[in-house]
Amino acid sequence: MSATAYLIGVSAPCAAAVLGATLPVGRRLLGAALLSAVGCLAALAGAGEVLLSGHPFALHSAEVLPLTGVDVSLDPLGALFVAITAIVGLAVSCYSIGYGAYSNAGRTTTAVLPAFLATLLLVPAASSVATFMAAWELMALTSLLALLGDHRRRSETRDAAQWYAAMTHIGAAAILFGLVLLAARSGGQSFAAIAAHRRELSMPLRSGVFVLALVGFASKAGAVPLHVWLPRAHPEAPSPVSALMSGAMVNLGVYGILRVGEVLLGGGELWWWLLVAALGVTSAFFGALHAAAGTDLKRLLAYSTVDNVGLVLLGVGAAGALQSDGDRVLAGLALLAALFHLANHALFKSGLFLAAGAVQHSTGTRDLDRLGGLARKMPVTAVLFGIGALSISAVPGSNGFASEWLLFEGLLQGFASHSAATQAALLAGVAALAITGGLTATAFVKAIGVGFLGQPRSEEAREANDAAPSMLAGMGILAVACVALGVVPGVALPTFERVAADGLAGGAPHALRPGIGIDLAAARGAIDPALVVAGLLAVFLLAGIAVRFAPRPAQLRHPRRGEVWGCGRELQTARMEITATSFAEPLQRVFADVLRPDRDLEVTHADESRYFAEAISFHQCVDDALERLAYLPVIAAVVSWGRLARRVPNGSVHRYLAFGFAAVLVVLVVLG
Amino acid sequence: MRPGAELDLVGLAGGVVLAGAVLTLWRKDLRALISLLSLQGVALATLAAVLAVHGDDVSLGVVAGVVLVTKGIVIPGLLTRVVRSDPGSRETSPLVNVPASLVAAAVLVVVAYVVSGRFSALFPDAFTRLAPLGLATILVGFFVLVTRRKAVSQIVGLLLVDNGIALVAFLLTAGFPLLVELGASLDLLLVVVVLQVLTTTIRARFGHVDLDQLRELHD
Amino acid sequence: MTSGLASLAVVNPALAERAGVSALQVGIVLVGGPLLLGLMGKVRARAEGRVGAPITQGLSDLRKLFRKEAVRANPTSAVSGLAPVVLVGSAAVAAAITPLVSTLPVSAGGSDVFLVVYLLLMGSIALALGGLDAGTAFGGMGSSRAMTVGAISEPALLVGILALAVQARTSNLPGIVTASLNHPGWLASPQRVLALGALVVVVIAETGRIPVDNPSTHLELTMIHEAMILEQSGPDLALSTAGEAMRLGLLLGLVANLFFPWGVADSGSGLAVAIGVFALALKAASLAVLIALIEVSTAKLRLFRVPELLAGGFVLAVVAVTTGLVTR
Repeated sequence: MSATAYLIGVSAPCAAAVLGATLPVGRRLLGAALLSAVGCLAALAGAGEVLLSGHPFALHSAEVLPLTGVDVSLDPLGALFVAITAIVGLAVSCYSIGYGAYSNAGRTTTAVLPAFLATLLLVPAASSVATFMAAWELMALTSLLALLGDHRRRSETRDAAQWYAAMTHIGAAAILFGLVLLAARSGGQSFAAIAAHRRELSMPLRSGVFVLALVGFASKAGAVPLHVWLPRAHPEAPSPVSALMSGAMVNLGVYGILRVGEVLLGGGELWWWLLVAALGVTSAFFGALHAAAGTDLKRLLAYSTVDNVGLVLLGVGAAGALQSDGDRVLAGLALLAALFHLANHALFKSGLFLAAGAVQHSTGTRDLDRLGGLARKMPVTAVLFGIGALSISAVPGSNGFASEWLLFEGLLQGFASHSAATQAALLAGVAALAITGGLTATAFVKAIGVGFLGQPRSEEAREANDAAPSMLAGMGILAVACVALGVVPGVALPTFERVAADGLAGGAPHALRPGIGIDLAAARGAIDPALVVAGLLAVFLLAGIAVRFAPRPAQLRHPRRGEVWGCGRELQTARMEITATSFAEPLQRVFADVLRPDRDLEVTHADESRYFAEAISFHQCVDDALERLAYLPVIAAVVSWGRLARRVPNGSVHRYLAFGFAAVLVVLVVLG
Repeated sequence: MRPGAELDLVGLAGGVVLAGAVLTLWRKDLRALISLLSLQGVALATLAAVLAVHGDDVSLGVVAGVVLVTKGIVIPGLLTRVVRSDPGSRETSPLVNVPASLVAAAVLVVVAYVVSGRFSALFPDAFTRLAPLGLATILVGFFVLVTRRKAVSQIVGLLLVDNGIALVAFLLTAGFPLLVELGASLDLLLVVVVLQVLTTTIRARFGHVDLDQLRELHD
Repeated sequence: MTSGLASLAVVNPALAERAGVSALQVGIVLVGGPLLLGLMGKVRARAEGRVGAPITQGLSDLRKLFRKEAVRANPTSAVSGLAPVVLVGSAAVAAAITPLVSTLPVSAGGSDVFLVVYLLLMGSIALALGGLDAGTAFGGMGSSRAMTVGAISEPALLVGILALAVQARTSNLPGIVTASLNHPGWLASPQRVLALGALVVVVIAETGRIPVDNPSTHLELTMIHEAMILEQSGPDLALSTAGEAMRLGLLLGLVANLFFPWGVADSGSGLAVAIGVFALALKAASLAVLIALIEVSTAKLRLFRVPELLAGGFVLAVVAVTTGLVTR
């Protein structure tokens, strides 16, 4: 039953891709979207059954791939990722109806989006090295095509696609190398065979495989310092694709780390997980800081993805480290928190990307410095963006808060561990969680306050309109899911706990209380988000009653309007408003050592006196300092190598054939 | 005294020594640095005294007195004289700015904690477990030496390193033998006196004591 | 309200007791916050040789503001009306679940230090959005500065509290208070002394006192908190002012009870609660006087020196946690 539903789930988007490529213009958008949505619902049903019953299924087909065949099986760990992708995919399919109509989506764009979705659903179920790598490469290819979308002639989009292609291929090569090494040494390429033979492998080999896989998966997840493609690709992609990338694709990087590190290699050594935690702490801090400093709405969201992936990796790393220290209960708790945060992030971040897409389509810009006042022009989008922004800022009563509390609790209880290195990682984790919380709140106060409140800063923002109903419905699905998981997280948590136990090598005893709370031998702790929400609602109710009984209720309900304070000067204009750049300026100064902003102030003085300025021009650019310092030198070196290599070919076909002939000879001699 | 209270007191004294070292990075006023040093001296003396009572060790008690006099009173007094001859002197522009060096100090503290786990495991004893505090003080002292420009700040860094070493020594082996401690204290006193004379001379010659300017002598 | 409690008492006496204590705590913070502000103003005035306003000035101001007409700026949206209510609401919920008078409120679960910290953050977000809503330069500037200071004070706050939570092995607030009542020796333990230093720095930053912010300035270029509420008037301003005072009262009461838990009731009986109220007033007032004295003796820092202060708080907190780990 679950297998059938899952197979329908994967094939329906494939069929949708065919429909998108073949149907006439008027129908292909609706047809492809509806079929993808049906597929997502089926995949959700299949994955849901595996999650709830705990019974995995396995399928083998010899026909699809030659030599190895295709192995598909869905265990609870994979099912969780399929379910998350399916929910995000459902919302994105719905949204793409209206979005595609706006942007006059071409045949390729309409066809590629469902294909990308299908590969995203396939990867977590692949259960052999060949199947996994095939699905992984298909995902890389379709996502690259989807990224290029309808903007392939824009130079920024091409640039982003080049970065993405390079990083994803380096990553895929590392994963391929690692997995093939593993398969070769353990006498079988199916994941079950590898897991069964892992004890026969030497520890250095396992460590080597893990590090290779970590490089590949961390680059897909967007962990610093392998994140450079992410803040380029996510903003440049069409918004439904950005939502799928941030809400589903980066998750698969985390999935890969868990699958290889825990399930296939059995946990391994402490330092593996300290490395993962260190990646997490760095990503969380770096991503949150850039999100707080950014002024491009979608770039801000992309860096915030880096931040949240960092928090998830921190939880995964803490879980692995605690498991190595021998504490399975706490490891289960930390992994539960990480997975829950991953799911929550998928929901609110894809919603935010969809809302940002609506803004971009309505105003033609993503630059916060040119937006403003959108709350009155696009009220529904503003509310939906607000729900996502408050969830990601971990306001109590939101799903972001529930998972960050669990993560904090996991880190805190982990201090009972006896290894000093683990304790140090946990301490760094708490510090990262704290600074990230503050910076994320700053980033999203900026996004709401500058983008949606205040007065419009440009003509485009003044003439914005709310998005089409199908787009609003897509965002609405995600917002409802966020609120539901925030107010009653207790409904979903037992499922996550089962998955966490399944994901850890050797399982984990449970530590969860009904509701949202933990119950350990040494400690108990609980929060009740529903109670908090009830308390806040009670205060609102009281305020409402107070208004009714106030001396002048009508006046309170419709207060008199007045001019804003302008130091005694009337006629405030939007040019006097604070911009996103100036909002972020204090933070930029505080963290100038990390951000290294590039700023340029030019003052042209009047001819008569140096005390009068004729013109002042200020230019500032906060690019990625890590990219500038670590990547550009490497790229420059590669380019200069390339120049050298260009001397070898001279355009003669005979010479090229000779190279090929020589290569064949060398291979034959070496192998013979 | 309860055994737990002794441990708490020793821990508190060790914590104060480390906190004093960290706060050295925070304050720029040289006089504030000197009072922090004097606070550290008193804390070290208290710690030695508690350990002396704990181990019924008379010579350790004498060491506590010596520490109180040299580190708590004499050395800060000498430094105050150096500073007084140059009123209003502040550590103007350290090579690493203050927030960054404070975060670096936090990292150093954690590093000290992680690496000293091994060698305090050699002597499994409640007091020995506090050794990371001393190691962290040493690391922070070195950080001060590396990043500060003024000659007085450099002396302060040196003294922080020395206080850290003393703290580790007290905790690991319940102190050096009396003679060694006396000799070391006198050596240190001598160093401070020499540096005091040197800074006074440098100032008399060049009008300031910014050590970065010494680089010019290289050319 | 009272009749509701009475009918609840019939159905579930224990729950009614808890609800009663929670309501009492909200009331205490609502009235006590402005009084603490008045006390701090009085101490400052006396130390500067002035007579100063009466301690109840804050309450009188609130009453006056509530009666005034509300005027909102032209370009504002619904956020301007919601922000002050959310500020007061988040502070009230935090006051209801924090063990200020008694460890009783929601002791079974729900009173968590992380929750209180994030409720305060929620209030800050509401206030900052309210500051941005009118679309003026000053409001935005205030929001930007407040969020910056809030963001960099967060690590010191959470790591400082971590030092206590690791010691008590729980982040449940009544759990921490009860554990420190059961272990009197903890009061002098090194991690607590150091963490107290860190948290005092944070309280000064979070409540906008000198040397971080000057609550009595109205010079546009230097203000933080006052800039955000520049466009508010009448009941809106009253709510914002009350919310800010409640946050001060809550933070002082929380720090007082975490470090000096004497007198906190562990039941809902009348006498214990009365002792709890008295002890809370005494402890919070002493902390307020301490902060007022710090304010008198220091000059306001430049905004870009504030990170030094908060980084200092952070490193103290890290030293506190490490010391706690080695003395365990």
